[in-house]
Amino acid sequence: MEEQIIAMLGDICGADPGEIQPDTALFDEGILDSFGLVQLIVALEEAFGVALDPAELERAQMATPDAIAATVRAAQG
Amino acid sequence: MTPYGGLTFFVVLAALLLPAVILGLLGRRIHYYGLFATLALLWLSFDSWESKALLAGFWLWETALCYGLLRLRAKGPSRGLFWTAVVLVIAPMVVSKVSGLLPGFSFSLLGISYMTFRALDVALDICDGRVKTLSLWETAYYILFAPAISSGPLDRYRRFTADLHRAIPREEYLTLVRDGVWRLMTGALYYFVFGSLIWKLWIEALPDGGFLGWAGYFYGYTFFMFFNFAGYSRMAVGTAYLLGIRLPDNFNRPFLAVDMKDFWARWHISLSTFLRDQVYTRFCMAALRGKWFKGKRTSSYLGYLLTMGLMGLWHGLSLHYLVYGLYHGGVMGLNDLLDTRWKHFKKLKKQPWSRAVCVVVTFHLFAFGLLLFSGKLLG
Repeated sequence: MEEQIIAMLGDICGADPGEIQPDTALFDEGILDSFGLVQLIVALEEAFGVALDPAELERAQMATPDAIAATVRAAQG
Repeated sequence: MTPYGGLTFFVVLAALLLPAVILGLLGRRIHYYGLFATLALLWLSFDSWESKALLAGFWLWETALCYGLLRLRAKGPSRGLFWTAVVLVIAPMVVSKVSGLLPGFSFSLLGISYMTFRALDVALDICDGRVKTLSLWETAYYILFAPAISSGPLDRYRRFTADLHRAIPREEYLTLVRDGVWRLMTGALYYFVFGSLIWKLWIEALPDGGFLGWAGYFYGYTFFMFFNFAGYSRMAVGTAYLLGIRLPDNFNRPFLAVDMKDFWARWHISLSTFLRDQVYTRFCMAALRGKWFKGKRTSSYLGYLLTMGLMGLWHGLSLHYLVYGLYHGGVMGLNDLLDTRWKHFKKLKKQPWSRAVCVVVTFHLFAFGLLLFSGKLLG
């Protein structure tokens, strides 16, 4: 799942290959912005069949690819 | 009595805060007393019987709507319910702003813009299913919270009520008192000393027109607005701390922002976060899920124009406020375009010298926006 999420992020944010690692701080590094987050949520919903409410998500839950994977797993139940 | 407007207010505020501090230091709950202090401040700030009656009517309207929404939402989510809630909750604010344009009709209420957005936050949390029960006193305390009534910060309902549900240990309250008093003192320094001095010695001393007049106003008004607004916000946050409420800080060194996106994460943070969550994100999510536009970024550009345009109109129904909002929507879109189409831009924002240039450019872009906001440019 982590690799799939990194690929999604690369696609959404136009990041160079290798720029995003599982522990990359996506907001601090300026990789993910508000719109990127919205795009990512929609992509995660489509890819993993989960429902994510942006208002419920803390930034920390989407801060790194690892954190995003944990958030998706929690949403899958 | 104007909030944070003079000696009388601060004497009353000190008298009202003293019992809160005693309760906090004894490790007792402050919040029921905090509601009393809020009501007392409102009673004194709304000095005429007419304004008191209008405030009571406004509160009854918003509270009845929230409870009505809660009942209807229990039957399931509905788009119709969402839009009905938005229209009815903001109706008093819209009437108030329109009344300013109509001769012979007046409906103005101190703090209606902030109180309406607080009520809207409750209503949208209900519509989204995040809030399933309401407490009358907690909702009243949140919507009417007097320390931040006329210039924010704009707190969020779930964050605010989380504070109400938490007991504050004595040691933690001592830290809150220390931080609150610091914010009150520095806020007063910003507001009464720096803001007033800039207005009296800088702006009022400027010549009418000419390069010096315009350039002086361009910079002077920007610094005045910062010290005036940040000062008010700091005093509001400091007061809230003493009442045991961790009202979020509204400014974070905005003139060090490297671009306009960064700027709006540092200036009037509570409003920009509220609008990002409730307008921009909702619009973009709906546009992406519904595949409204061919280009994905189109929804972001339109989202910025919509969000910032509404932000402008929230300040008042005047052309210069609308232009101010649309200008920022356009600049945010341009920022987005640079971020996505010119990869070098991200690197420039990180290197020391080019970062300094970005900071200076961002400051001037914002200062021009404030010139639009002031109405001086558009009359």
